[in-house]
Amino acid sequence: MRFRDVEIRKLSDTMWEIPREGGMRVPGLIFASEAMMGDIVRDEAIRQVMNVAHLPGILKCSIGMPDIHWGYGFPIGGVAAMDAEEGVVSPGGVGYDINCGVRLLRSDLTVDVLRPKLRELVGALHREVPSGVGSTGFVRLTAADEEKVLVEGSRWAASRGYASAEDIDCTESGGKLPDADPEAVSVIAKKRGRNQLGTLGSGNHFLEIDEVAEVFDEEAARAFGLFPGQAAVLIHSGSRGLGYQVCDDYLVTMADYMRRNAIDLPDRQLACAHIRSPEGNRYLSALAAAGNYAFANRQLLAHQARETFLRFLGMGPSDLGMRLVYDCGHNNAKFEVHEVAGAKRRVLVHRKGATRCFPAGSAEIPATYRHVGQPVLIPGEMGNASFVLAGSPEAMRVSFGSTCHGAGRRMSRTQARASVRGKSIVQEMEKRGVLVACASHKTLAEEIPEAYKDVSEVVAVVHDAGIARKVARLRPVAVVKG
Amino acid sequence: MRRCRYRLLAHTADLLLEARGTDLPGLFSSCVLALFSLLADRRTVRGAKVRTAEVTGDTAEEQLFFLLREALLMFSAHKFLARTARVTIKGKRVTLTVAGETYDSSRHLVDREIKAVTAHAMVVERSPWGYLARFVVDV
Repeated sequence: MRFRDVEIRKLSDTMWEIPREGGMRVPGLIFASEAMMGDIVRDEAIRQVMNVAHLPGILKCSIGMPDIHWGYGFPIGGVAAMDAEEGVVSPGGVGYDINCGVRLLRSDLTVDVLRPKLRELVGALHREVPSGVGSTGFVRLTAADEEKVLVEGSRWAASRGYASAEDIDCTESGGKLPDADPEAVSVIAKKRGRNQLGTLGSGNHFLEIDEVAEVFDEEAARAFGLFPGQAAVLIHSGSRGLGYQVCDDYLVTMADYMRRNAIDLPDRQLACAHIRSPEGNRYLSALAAAGNYAFANRQLLAHQARETFLRFLGMGPSDLGMRLVYDCGHNNAKFEVHEVAGAKRRVLVHRKGATRCFPAGSAEIPATYRHVGQPVLIPGEMGNASFVLAGSPEAMRVSFGSTCHGAGRRMSRTQARASVRGKSIVQEMEKRGVLVACASHKTLAEEIPEAYKDVSEVVAVVHDAGIARKVARLRPVAVVKG
Repeated sequence: MRRCRYRLLAHTADLLLEARGTDLPGLFSSCVLALFSLLADRRTVRGAKVRTAEVTGDTAEEQLFFLLREALLMFSAHKFLARTARVTIKGKRVTLTVAGETYDSSRHLVDREIKAVTAHAMVVERSPWGYLARFVVDV
């Protein structure tokens, strides 16, 4: 397989190596099938994996997941681990939507029970869960409240009665990232975030009602509380304008740091600073704060969804049984301990469009899941499927405990809009058995299923490569989009 | 209202814009108007209020990047939509003056969230008809 003048070496049916060349400090490693590689080499994602390999302190390899596509600086679907002492941190390695992620709520209901009133239920969710540009959340934050959100994350939501102890336990990092410092977040970023807590946003963010269509791993599904035919809610959102602004602010800070420290990299969007520098340290404090905002945001969205179900169905919480299965981010950088060259090392793992997937036995996953591994939530293209996976030991060996994050785009937004000109996406989706309520028909057209890779193929690669294992397939029956 | 000379090029995940101008200030104002045109239909925006922003940069790319960041902030932080834009350049310093109004959901349809203007693949170059710029916005 070739990318321009670069020969990419096939290691197995699911793994490809980009050899070191020029200023690359480590090789590149792509997880993909042969057919997917054909798509991947068509845009600039491979070049970006190679560019990331130039970063100071990068360990083992610069990694691309099967849902990889062209980003800015780092590719979307990229993983890079840096030595915690000598390495750098790069805002472009996390992305603008800091700690964007997914949460899955399970219920005791089957979709068959919901189906007769599904249209009204989707309408209610669309009204009650704020989405689209300019929407504001149901909580009014003072400046002091917002600072607490930045430090406490989901635990702030719990203090206001919007989260249970179980919600906190089933959120990655307990819904609170350590070392967050609101002082490291700019006034503008805080201004952008003040009214947006508890809002879905726009673009590829969504809330969907799913049916558990297929179970692959009975034991893990049982541990996660999932069964065939079950109704579940999947929420995809992030840190809203606050996170975007934090990334934007620090890209400028780090471009200046690179100039002063004569760090030369192939792309300006790879701007970085040494982890131990004041600039690197301050970004990590802001990153944790924005990450906490994202946890609190998804918690409020889940609270609104749960309350809407209860009110609409006239049920009590114990009859509905709507509990959080898990909440995991897919845009972050976290300090973790991994084995490198036979020795345990503290590293900073950048995951941009990649999900942490720790195996059974890990102390960092809820005790109830520790015998089966961390739940990993992979949203797919609208109207097709989403997947629940579980963490596996192989991921610790080859991908710094990381796996894919979604379907990954294959068509540009302009192509997507052109391909649906004159059609009603809402009607098309309804024919496929998916009710859609949306804030913007323009965004909806850009998010048609054909614009994405087939999530089943993406998941098959990570399953076959052993960097996660399939637990259940979800089939969307209704979607609320921003 | 001046027509804004820009077009969207193919980009897998985000939006890649190409804008033109007969000179550098004209190019920069085209880029700013392209950004606001992505947010809302500028014909629905009244030019009632004036806002200014000033940035400095060592290169044309840097000047454009900082200028577009400020333009986007006008909407994302201050909910201001621009109808027209004028740019002046004196050495490293670039001044942007826009006329527009505060976003009003009853009159303006803003149905696309722009997360940020990125420096990735940003290009400012001379062309046979003047100047051309390409830049990516994250959506």
